[in-house]
Amino acid sequence: MVTPYLIHFVVFVLGSLLASLYFSFSDYDILNPPKWKGLDNYTKLFHEPVFWKALWNTLYFTILFVPLQTVLALILAVALNQKLRALKLFRLAHFLPVISSWTVIMYVSDAIFNPRFGFANSFLIKIGLDPQKWLQDEHLVIPLLVIIAVWKGIGYIMVIFLAGLQNVPSDVYEAAEIDGAGTFRKFLNITVPLISGTTFLVLILSTISTFQAFEQIYVMTGGAMDASSAGGPHKASLVLMIYLYQEGFSFLRMGYASAIAWVLFVILFVLTVVQMLLQKKWVHYE
Amino acid sequence: MKLNRTRKIAGYTVIILSSLIMVMPFLTTVFNSLKSYAQYTKVPPQWIPDPVQWNNYAEVWKLGPFGQYTTNSVIVTVLSVVGALFSCSMVAYAFARLKFPLKNTLFLVVLGTMMIPPVVLIIPQFVIFKSLHMLDTLTPLWIIEWLAQPFGIFLMRQAFLAIPKDYEESAKLDGCNPIQIYWRIFLPMCKPTFATLAVFTFMTKWNEILSPAIFLTSKENFTLPIGILSMAGQWSGNEQYMVAAALMSLIPILLVFLFAEKYFVQGSNSAGIK
Repeated sequence: MVTPYLIHFVVFVLGSLLASLYFSFSDYDILNPPKWKGLDNYTKLFHEPVFWKALWNTLYFTILFVPLQTVLALILAVALNQKLRALKLFRLAHFLPVISSWTVIMYVSDAIFNPRFGFANSFLIKIGLDPQKWLQDEHLVIPLLVIIAVWKGIGYIMVIFLAGLQNVPSDVYEAAEIDGAGTFRKFLNITVPLISGTTFLVLILSTISTFQAFEQIYVMTGGAMDASSAGGPHKASLVLMIYLYQEGFSFLRMGYASAIAWVLFVILFVLTVVQMLLQKKWVHYE
Repeated sequence: MKLNRTRKIAGYTVIILSSLIMVMPFLTTVFNSLKSYAQYTKVPPQWIPDPVQWNNYAEVWKLGPFGQYTTNSVIVTVLSVVGALFSCSMVAYAFARLKFPLKNTLFLVVLGTMMIPPVVLIIPQFVIFKSLHMLDTLTPLWIIEWLAQPFGIFLMRQAFLAIPKDYEESAKLDGCNPIQIYWRIFLPMCKPTFATLAVFTFMTKWNEILSPAIFLTSKENFTLPIGILSMAGQWSGNEQYMVAAALMSLIPILLVFLFAEKYFVQGSNSAGIK
């Protein structure tokens, strides 16, 4: 009965891991068998400015996205964690972007941020500011992608926090109220430490997934029409996954692309271990 | 009492404000999908469509392979959901109830594989499907779900472990074999977990972009999310059709959400545990 998983593990996990590691040390274009090249791919990678740019873009995206989404989702969850009317309706509103594909989100954000006929520019002009090129602007592209990603994902994280908040016993708050603590103090001194376990999980999971962000950038920078334009303009939003995709699947440099994958894997592994070690300092366990 | 009231008002303010931020762009998009091309590209933009072109939605079906993309998406999603439910529950049943060598080690392996970032597995998967001559077919997109993904195994096993053993023991006395026990006891008792896994697989597969972008090359095999984008060239001068097409692709998942909201919420929470 475990056969499906055994096939899955042996072929698609263990076999794939080993194959990928082997490819990363070889020259491989899919059509011909891989040729062993030792550390060649890695040396090339570390001397390639585009790789460093992609690494920086990935870090920049993650550093903006993860804290922003976590903090805002927590605030929303706290606001929602009481007996409110129309709770279902509010939850539906926040899940609408969560259940949408990035293709849908692309058209939704285009309605606002289209450089020609979007509402954001029409608003800027109305209040006397210059219109922007938004996703086609090298400096704006990552911050704007981050804002859109936070907007899309916040409902999901909010629900995870809500579950965490429901486990905080209400007598702790009552005791604090008797001691005269205000709302803000209670949030900072009770809520934040008591749900730090949830916060930790959210941080780990969102760091891991943000580091591998692909779909949003691929779709919103026009990768589906032309793979080479993904990560634009001028590689300003080129993250590691887009770089890997272009090298591997556009140029069939599978060995080199596998090396990118392994570098990404190692960075993620180190980041996760560091987060695990740091958790002892700030995560509160009862 | 007074404090509670201010808290409620503050809560409502935050939530209503943020709900508006969530919904207004969608409403604007719905309006865009009903405009004529002239109004869609008008500068400065107008919010309300005038005249309202309902037939934009009909044109989508006429002018392109939208129907084909929908069929492809339905095939991939349905086969994935069935495969995930079948394979995960089977493997989870084995982990929860059967005795076999290395069971605990293997379960640790399941947990461990959840930690491996998919990025290192993509290229070998591509090579495997190429050697199986499955590239540019829909098969790679759903077949992987028939091989029990770890998250589903984990979710199901938790649910199965919560079923008291007395149930199956009395069933065994009545002469039920393991398959009957699975079908008559485990399945009905764990309906919510099945629903949660179904809903999550549905959402992931319906919206998936990375795998179709890698495995599919011919346009007629595309699923909706990349298919719609590929129609751009065909519809230049009528981009409002693309907006209508994108919104239509949202309808099935929206319906699933409306009917199964609580399973979405449960799934999000188990994702937190994951």
